[in-house]
Amino acid sequence: MSSQTRSETRREVSTGTGAIVAENLVKSFDKGIVKALDGLTLRVSAGEYVSITGPSGCGKSTLMHMLAALDRPDSGRLMVDGADLMRLHDPDGFRRSRVGLVFQMHNLLAHLDAKANVSIAMLGTSRTRRQISERADELLEMVGLAAFSHRRPPEMSGGERQRVAIARALANEPSILLADEPTGSLDSHSVDRVLNVLDDLRRERPVTIVMVTHDDGVAMTADRMIHLVDGRVSEPTA
Amino acid sequence: MSFGWLVRHNVWSKKVRSGLTALAVAIGVMTVVALGIVTDSLKTTAAGVLQVGAADFTVAQKGVNDILSSALTEQQLAKVRGIDGVRSATGVLLDTERLDKAHPLVVEVGIKPVDLKPFGVQIADGRAFRADAENEVMLGIHLAQDLGIKVGGTIHVTDKTMRVVGVFNTGNTFGDSTVMFPLAPFQAYQRQPGGLSLLFVKVDPGTKVSQVRSAVERSSPLLVTISSLIDFGRADRSYQLITAADRAATFLAIAVGAIFVMNAMVLSLVERYREFGILRAVGWSRRRLIALVFGEAMVIAFIGAALGVGLGFVAISILENLPSLEGVLKPTFESWVFGRALLTAILVTAIGALYPALRAAHLSPQEAMRRE
Ligand SMILES: Nc1ncnc2c1ncn2[C@@H]1O[C@H](COP(=O)(O)OP(=O)(O)OP(=O)(O)O)[C@@H](O)[C@H]1O
Ligand SMILES: [Mg+2]
Repeated sequence: MSSQTRSETRREVSTGTGAIVAENLVKSFDKGIVKALDGLTLRVSAGEYVSITGPSGCGKSTLMHMLAALDRPDSGRLMVDGADLMRLHDPDGFRRSRVGLVFQMHNLLAHLDAKANVSIAMLGTSRTRRQISERADELLEMVGLAAFSHRRPPEMSGGERQRVAIARALANEPSILLADEPTGSLDSHSVDRVLNVLDDLRRERPVTIVMVTHDDGVAMTADRMIHLVDGRVSEPTA
Repeated sequence: MSFGWLVRHNVWSKKVRSGLTALAVAIGVMTVVALGIVTDSLKTTAAGVLQVGAADFTVAQKGVNDILSSALTEQQLAKVRGIDGVRSATGVLLDTERLDKAHPLVVEVGIKPVDLKPFGVQIADGRAFRADAENEVMLGIHLAQDLGIKVGGTIHVTDKTMRVVGVFNTGNTFGDSTVMFPLAPFQAYQRQPGGLSLLFVKVDPGTKVSQVRSAVERSSPLLVTISSLIDFGRADRSYQLITAADRAATFLAIAVGAIFVMNAMVLSLVERYREFGILRAVGWSRRRLIALVFGEAMVIAFIGAALGVGLGFVAISILENLPSLEGVLKPTFESWVFGRALLTAILVTAIGALYPALRAAHLSPQEAMRRE
C-alpha cells in the first residue's frame, strides 16, 4: 500500500479495513458502446453481508471484478479494505491477502485435489510448506470437507466444489469475501450447505461479504439487498 | 504444497502433453548428440594418424583438403633435418585402401626400416621388413588380430599378394590398425619416387618446440606444422568442413526443436486459459506465472535430454552399421555428450517457452474466467 493510501485511510474512517466505498463508478467496454457500470455508488461497512441482484447484463460481475482489483473503473472513486483501487500498485498482492474470490463455476483446477486447490492461494505468502498444509486442513475442516481433501474436482458435487472455493478464498484471512453467484448452479440442498458455511464463518470472525445472486431466497439471507439496473443501484421502491 | 511440487505435478498430470513436448526436445537433443559423436569420431579418425609417430610435431603440406593427401619430398625432409634444434625427422608416405567390407579405409604407411624405432613402432612378433623388399609388409597388431592373419601369412594389398613378416605395436589404436610397407617399393608403387606425406619431428632436449616449429615454417612457405587438434583443424580443410556442418546442423536442430516446443505450448495455452485465470484471481503475480510455465518447461527439458541421449545412442548404432560408414565411424561416448544434451534441451525449451510464458502472464484474469 502506498503512503498516500495509508494517509487517506486515516482521514476517512468509513473506508477502512473491511469496508467498501464506491462512488460514481463508470466502466465501459467496446470503446464506450457498452456501459457496464454507469455511475454506480455503493457503501458497504465492515462486517456487513450484502447481496447484489439484478437482471443479466446489469453489471454485477463487472462490479465484482472492480472490487477484486481484477480490472480498474474508467472513473469514480473506489476504496476497498482501505486501499484506493483507482491507483493500486500491487493488485496481485491485494487479491492475495485482502479479498477472497468465489465465482459461479470453474473455480478449481481440475488436476489438483481439494487440498492442493486450497493451497495454491498460499504459495508466495510468508507461510512455510508445513503451515500451508495445516492451514489447508483447517479450512477444509471449516467447510465440512476434511474427508475430501484428496478428491479432485471431477469427483466432487457442485456444492462441494463451491465449498472448496470458499475455503480457498478465505485462505489468507481476507477481510472481504466477494462471491459472484456462488450458488448459481447448485440444487437447494447444496445451496443451504454453502450458506451455512458463510453463516459459520461470520460467527467466527467479522468478515464483509458481497454476494451476487439470481436467487431471491439466497439474497434474503443477507443483511441488506442491493438491486442493480443498467449499471447503477436502483433506489428501493417499497 | 510447494511451488516445486506444483511444477512437477503439472508436468506429471498432463502426461500426453508433457510427453509429446519432451519428445520434440528429445529429437533435437538426439540430432545434436548424434552429430556431435559422428563429428568427433571423424575428427579422431583423421587426427589419429598424427598421434602415431612419437613426435613433438608433424609437418604437412600447406593448404590441403585432407591431411592424408599432403605431398612432400625427401629434399624437404633433408632440409628440415638441417634446421637448428631438430633432433630427428621421419618421413612417411601415406595412402588408404579398401580391404573388405569391414575395413573400408585402412591406412597404409610407407616407412624406412631404420625409422621404425624413432617412429615408435615396436615389433610384437616376427621381424621388420627389409628396405627394398617388394613383397614384405607388417601389420598393426589390432588389424592383424581383426583379420586373423599371423606372421608368415599373406595379405592382398596394393594389387599384390604380400607376405606378412611382422606384427607391430605402436601403443595407439589408430597406429595399430595400419599396414606398413618399406618406403622405397611403396613410393615406386605409388609412382612417387622420393615422395612423402608427412614428416614427424623430434626436437633436441632443452629446445622449445614452438621455436623449432616456427623455424620449420619460416624455412618454406609450403610447409605447415601441427601439434594439436587445433593446428590440425587449420591444416585440414575437411576437418573445417565437418566442424562447420556440425555447427549448422546443431543450430537447425535447436531452432526446429524450439519451434516444436513453442507450438505444443501455445496449443496447451488455450486449454489452460482458465487455469491461469484462476491463479491470477487468487493473487498470483505475472512473474510467478511465468516461473510456473518455465519451471514446467525445465522439467520437460530434463526428461527430453535423457530421452534424447538414449535416442542419440540408438541413432549412432544404426549409423555405425550402415554399409557405407562401416569401419569409418568409430564413435566414442564421452561425458561431454551429456553436458551437450542438457544444454541443447534447456536451450530448446527455454526458447520455445518464452513466448507462451509471456502470453500466459499477460492474459487478463477476468477474460479467462469469462471463457466457457
Ligand atoms: N470484457 C468485456 N468486453 C465487452 N463487454 C463486456 C465485457 N465485460 C462485460 N461486458 C458487458 O458489460 C455488461 C455487464 O456485464 P456483466 O458481466 O457485468 O453482467 P452481469 O450482471 O454479471 O450479468 P449476468 O447476470 O448474466 O452474469 C454486459 O453488457 C456485458 O456484455
Ligand atoms: Mg455475471
